[in-house]
Amino acid sequence: MDAVERENFARQKRWAKEQKVGEGTYAVVYRGREVSTGRRVAIKKIKVGQFKDGLDMSAIREVKYLRELKHPNVIELLDVFSSKTNLNLVLEFLDSDLEMIIKDRSLVFLPADIKSWMAMTFRGLEFCHRNFILHRDLKPNNLLIASDGQLKIADFGLARDFADPGYKMTCQVITRWYRPPELLFGSRYYSSAVDIWSVGCIFAELMLRTPYLAGESDMDQLKTIFRALGTPTEQEWPGHTKLPDYVPVGQFPKTPLRDLFTAASADTLNLLSKCLLYEPRKRISASEALHHPYFFAIPHPSHPSKLPKCSTQMAPRPLEEVDGNVDMTSAGPGVKAAAPSKGKLKRKLTSPMEESRARSIARKLDFTKQANSP
Amino acid sequence: MSSKSNYGWLQGRTVKKGSHSSSNSHTRSTTPQVQSTSSTIFGGGIKDPSGRTSEYFSMDDQCPVCKSDRYLNPKLRLLVSTCYHKMCESCIDRLFTLGPAPCPIPDCKTVLRKLAFSPQTFEDLGVEKEVAVRRRIAKEFNKRAEDFDDLRSYNDYLEEVEDIAFNLINGIDIEATEARIKAYKAANAALTSLNLQREEAEALALKEQEELDRREREARASQLAQQEQQEREERLREEQELINKLETSQKDAHKIVAKSRNAAAKRSSARAASSNTTSGLLGMSFGADYAKLLKTRTNKVNNNVPDEPHVPFQDNYYAYDDLFTLRPEGYDDIFSEAVRKDREGIMRAGGYRVEEAWNRALLSAVAGMDVFPLSGLDSEPQPSGEDGDVVMESV
Repeated sequence: MDAVERENFARQKRWAKEQKVGEGTYAVVYRGREVSTGRRVAIKKIKVGQFKDGLDMSAIREVKYLRELKHPNVIELLDVFSSKTNLNLVLEFLDSDLEMIIKDRSLVFLPADIKSWMAMTFRGLEFCHRNFILHRDLKPNNLLIASDGQLKIADFGLARDFADPGYKMTCQVITRWYRPPELLFGSRYYSSAVDIWSVGCIFAELMLRTPYLAGESDMDQLKTIFRALGTPTEQEWPGHTKLPDYVPVGQFPKTPLRDLFTAASADTLNLLSKCLLYEPRKRISASEALHHPYFFAIPHPSHPSKLPKCSTQMAPRPLEEVDGNVDMTSAGPGVKAAAPSKGKLKRKLTSPMEESRARSIARKLDFTKQANSP
Repeated sequence: MSSKSNYGWLQGRTVKKGSHSSSNSHTRSTTPQVQSTSSTIFGGGIKDPSGRTSEYFSMDDQCPVCKSDRYLNPKLRLLVSTCYHKMCESCIDRLFTLGPAPCPIPDCKTVLRKLAFSPQTFEDLGVEKEVAVRRRIAKEFNKRAEDFDDLRSYNDYLEEVEDIAFNLINGIDIEATEARIKAYKAANAALTSLNLQREEAEALALKEQEELDRREREARASQLAQQEQQEREERLREEQELINKLETSQKDAHKIVAKSRNAAAKRSSARAASSNTTSGLLGMSFGADYAKLLKTRTNKVNNNVPDEPHVPFQDNYYAYDDLFTLRPEGYDDIFSEAVRKDREGIMRAGGYRVEEAWNRALLSAVAGMDVFPLSGLDSEPQPSGEDGDVVMESV
């Protein structure tokens, strides 16, 4: 046993693997504990050898960037070790994600809650950008919520560092609903502004409780954006017609945000509109956003411990309900406490039974992947 | 045609065609009608909340000056002077067109101007006068209870205002009272204008609230209408289906009818349920159950942790900020040449910023400058895991 193996073995011993929580495309996720302290962690086992080039690209990205980032609003990579031929990532264990919270109709958001989540998102994102890393996949279910209410940016599988001048980047990143128009138009040279657009969409989604710009295809996404925010003019966004995949998608008039966000304050709409500016260079940066008057206005952002969360909703529920759900989800009893409760609540609040059941299973797998994939 | 309009024409004023078209107006005495026979627009009068002036109008109206009455002249319009005497428009035109003149009513020598006449709102001119006086007084004397130290002084102030109003209404000591008002005005100009602004702000807020309520109501109504429309269409379609089935199917007609009825019942219950959820979805701002949830959430006794004001950064990374500044004119390096020359503008439109690359390069260059040498390592023992990192990363 050489020094490297010995070191790896010592490290492996620090973490105890428990039951499987879920399986993603390139990883299996287990719940685990730190042996010495009993602290809960998530262990993500990367499947090796399945891809012809060895490790999956996103696993490499994840390790590469998370190893360097340590911030209260970014998920923490605690350790990396190998077992047999597999690579294991030890990550912070987080209860739920923002998407579950948004979809849980029994929860009520105060404006202060939204402000608090936005502040934490911007702080985490600002930290990434400050370290010259683009996240490139921000969406509510990549924003995980810790048990103390802290929001953490997760899933760096699509992240990359700022490109050097003249280097191309791919435009096939970011989940469609959160993808900015410059990527939809196929721009290969972009900046941190792409993440800000996503945050803007999340901001709107927190207020609407439903995805703001939900397009059905890339083409439809552009149309949806323009319908909501008006077709950009050459003046608003110089040069966009010269982007590689530019296609005219029709003229839509500009409608004031106020029409949709009737209850939002002027500050709120101002920040939102600055996040959703067409011209990427004019879009607000994360650190500018953190200094925006919206965050300083009354009400103060909610203290993280007071933010609504799914799991607390779960606690007082009678046990048998939980049983029923565990059966339904079939991934073993301790999967993510909140996921069953979400299924349950969903079922109670909406009528189409089958749809909601199928949905909750799908979401569950999805979620476990995310919870652990970061 | 009425003689009045000819009169206007004689004086060279525009005579609008059709302005006297309503022939039955004089029969309705209850609705105030403005039937101006003069092109002069008389301002003033008492406005109701919607901002309109309703004019007092009765069948017994008679001009005290020319004695013409509504029987002889259905278009008679009486206006009130500043000395609270009525007269008809034609008298006003006749007497005051050439400039200010004394009031034609005996024993009243007040000098009147044509434009100072205003429409009458109340039957009793005393009331008319009182309302006008009080309106004027309220504009100046707009102090509020919170402007006073105690209730006593506020009451004294109200008493004084009432005194002044009474004097003005009843014509007692007009000069002395005017002097009092003037003195008050001078003494309280700042406070008065402040209160005026406050009132305006309040009125604006009220208006906004009303607007919001109205929009909510509209949204709810349109949602309801949409639902109804949908239901109607569905019912029609069901009927059509049933008829088709009865036509084509070989089965027992009773069974088919029962079956479709069942399906309809099921669908309507599903619709009711889904309308609940949609109201939750769309009606976030005004759903009743949402309001209830909100209340429980706000009332939740979770206030032991106070919400702290926003702090932009909770770490102190920006220690590097003052270590360098980018040259505003940029740098002439070969790497960024393509971006700087970017004729097509494709890099520009995508939002790529060469400044970020420069910033990164410079930051990397200076980041380690004031980090202390590694001497600290000995004094604080590193956890074994951190040591291991080095090994792992070299793997």
